[in-house]
Amino acid sequence: MENKNLHKTENHKEHHISSYKDHFSTLLALLLLTVVTVVVSVFGADLRSLSVATALLIATVKVVVVAYYFMHLKYDMKLYTWLVVLVAVLFVAFTALTSIEYFNR
Amino acid sequence: MEHASGFVLPNSGHNRDAEASKMGMWLFLFTELLLFGGLFIVYMVYRMINHEAFLLSSFELDVTMGTINTVVLLVSSMTIAMSITAIQKGNIKLSVNLLYATLAAAIIFMVIKYFEWSSKIHHGLFPGMDYYESLPKGEGLFFYLYFFMTGLHALHIIIGAVIIGVVIYRTKKGLVTSEKYTLTENAGLYWHLVDLIWIYLFPLFYLIH
Amino acid sequence: MATLSTELNYLQAKKGLFSWIFSVDHKRIALLYLYSLITFFLVGVTLGILMRLELLNPGKDLVEAKTYNQIFTLHGVIMIFLFIIPSIPAVFGNFFLPIMLGTDDVSFPRLNLLSWWIYIIGAIMALSTLIFGDGPADTGWTFYAPYSVKTGTNVTMSVLAAFVLGFSSILTGLNFIVTIHRLRTPGMTFLKMPLFAWALYATSWIQLLATPIIGITLMMIVAERFFGVGLFDPSIGGDPILYQHLFWIYSHPAVYIMALPAFGIISELLPTFARRTIFGYKAIAFSSLAIAFVGYFIWGHHMFTSGMSGTGRFIFSILTFLVAIPTAIKVFNWVATLYKGSIHVHTPLLYALAFIFQFMIGGFTGLLLGALATDIHLHDTYFVVGHFHYVMFGGTGFAFFGALHYWFPKIWGKMYNAKVANTAFTLLFIGFNTLYFPMLIAGLMGMPRRYYDYLPEFHLPNMISTFGSWILAVGLILMLGNLIYAYFKSKDKPGRNPWGGITLEWQTQSPPPVQNFDRMPELPKNGPYDFEHKPTIKE
Repeated sequence: MENKNLHKTENHKEHHISSYKDHFSTLLALLLLTVVTVVVSVFGADLRSLSVATALLIATVKVVVVAYYFMHLKYDMKLYTWLVVLVAVLFVAFTALTSIEYFNR
Repeated sequence: MEHASGFVLPNSGHNRDAEASKMGMWLFLFTELLLFGGLFIVYMVYRMINHEAFLLSSFELDVTMGTINTVVLLVSSMTIAMSITAIQKGNIKLSVNLLYATLAAAIIFMVIKYFEWSSKIHHGLFPGMDYYESLPKGEGLFFYLYFFMTGLHALHIIIGAVIIGVVIYRTKKGLVTSEKYTLTENAGLYWHLVDLIWIYLFPLFYLIH
Repeated sequence: MATLSTELNYLQAKKGLFSWIFSVDHKRIALLYLYSLITFFLVGVTLGILMRLELLNPGKDLVEAKTYNQIFTLHGVIMIFLFIIPSIPAVFGNFFLPIMLGTDDVSFPRLNLLSWWIYIIGAIMALSTLIFGDGPADTGWTFYAPYSVKTGTNVTMSVLAAFVLGFSSILTGLNFIVTIHRLRTPGMTFLKMPLFAWALYATSWIQLLATPIIGITLMMIVAERFFGVGLFDPSIGGDPILYQHLFWIYSHPAVYIMALPAFGIISELLPTFARRTIFGYKAIAFSSLAIAFVGYFIWGHHMFTSGMSGTGRFIFSILTFLVAIPTAIKVFNWVATLYKGSIHVHTPLLYALAFIFQFMIGGFTGLLLGALATDIHLHDTYFVVGHFHYVMFGGTGFAFFGALHYWFPKIWGKMYNAKVANTAFTLLFIGFNTLYFPMLIAGLMGMPRRYYDYLPEFHLPNMISTFGSWILAVGLILMLGNLIYAYFKSKDKPGRNPWGGITLEWQTQSPPPVQNFDRMPELPKNGPYDFEHKPTIKE
């Protein structure tokens, strides 16, 4: 089958095995971000609009960390990353179009 | 699959294909994300229209309980990720124990959720109750969305717990091995999704004052 | 599995009802879908003819106003959720996608069977409103809040049915995407896939990423009907227009779930009957993706008169015009494919040509509705009804019939009577245009949709339209009768390749063996429509 390598992009390489230590470090990072977001929210209540943006930003960072390390996006085919980006773009576009409409009522 | 006339189609839908299963799982997760996405759009629009009311109502929620639940879910995400590492290294016993830990986290989460919900219901904040009906414009919507979204999320926790139970059962029966661990991987992906959604729900309901 | 003989085709391999309704063979599942779809389609047609009869003359003739509302709602729910959304992907996609990719099944055969079962459960739920509860919903298929929350009819069940059917659609889409990524035969890169596969790929992404939004929206309607808080009620801080937003975030892309597979069919029919390569393969393939992508962002054009902000209307109108570009690219390429082709006129080609003609009328009338100024006049008139029937029935419906005539010999290994088929086509074409063109005129004159009565000045177009519905009905009966007769009685064995097509399904037996191929399929040298280096197909 000389054609086999045409499929190379679709077939994964050897499976990467993440170490227990990596997983633990990921958890520590996530917990740290949680502490930051709670602290900003509870003690920075007078910076209202800022805290919305900050909270969402921190949440997004956490989500990226979970997806990248825990969900193995870092080691999987790039296709998955692109698809996740696609879904994110789609959702952001939905919210953006809807909010533009409501902001201008 | 072999054919009587003596040739083999190289790509068969009946072959075991771990990558295909994983791809299917990811695609399914996308639908889940957009399912919640619809609710987040509703939340966003109503928050925009009823800004003050949403701020006031969010003070009613218990930040401590929310934070504990966040930590519980994050830890459980790690344990299930480690469980995959364990099965890949062929350590079946450790893998099963880590799955049990994840299951325990799911139960703790649900218990805390139960106390949270019952205290809200005790105050008459559930849609249809007297106090809820007397709430000013906008605040009712906040609690309606709170119950709808955390309720749907809790439903996903329960489904995830059942799936993890299945993985434990099949791993113990020897059907999941260091060669064949797609099931654990997919259960992990699903569980992480439940975590991801909570990561957004938590600040949106508890923290944004 | 290895013991199955290739001597037996998929129809003969096993006998009995259970060997069908629990089959995991994609070909049998496709036929399960076909039979169920046609059944529901005929129910929908009957309801449509009833409506036309009521509208034959002004005033109340046959049914009460409320009954009429229930009829058009059920007609919409059946035709959209039970027929046209699953139609081409579930039937021809299921049957031919794996064969065209040179494999023996979809990636998840059991999931495929599950989607059919979920579809049947959803269908039973939708039809059960006829018998149980307080009658079928009378809201229109859009279930607009707040009326859908307040009406006494059985909206809850209809909405739950739509939710369940959405699941079936998602699972089919998921299965096709994975199949296309994982099961293409070696040598078939993405850019050597048949265009039907490309169309299904784009469609599947819409099914997958848009359907969940309507799922959750419909759940909110159900929750509303139980708790009655008024989620879309301004008196407690809600907004009824938000429902419309969420509904159309799904339902506009859903229009492309209905249309894109039809584009795929036409892109298969034209090269085969013009005996030449398709003009602009990449343009057609990528414009499918472009339509799918841009189609997500134009939902607002259904709500221009609902009270959206001016900025919102402006943006949605511009985006709507954008989506016309990739669609026009396709039509241009199809017509260019015919140019200097060696055209063989057979029944499927006639359907394809009718598709192009009718789809263009549907498309151009769509532009009038996408323009802000004209939409104010035309919104909720019969112009809209005429427009979407031109796109959905004149487009997708005709492509479906074309595909049925194109692949009939492959699916059943028998040939129908071409003369009768052509007569039926002529009746359908005349009937269709007599039925729907007057609607465009009535709409321009200002006749509103969704009423069982109308002013006397709209009598003439309505009369012509009802007359057209009878011609269409005769055409449908003749077409189906001809095919059913051929299925039972035809002695005419078409062989592997009756039309001279070169995509992989023509290289195998008719009907195909259980494992799809009885010898290794051979790819044409330069892409799927390379008629200059076509593989020789021996019987």
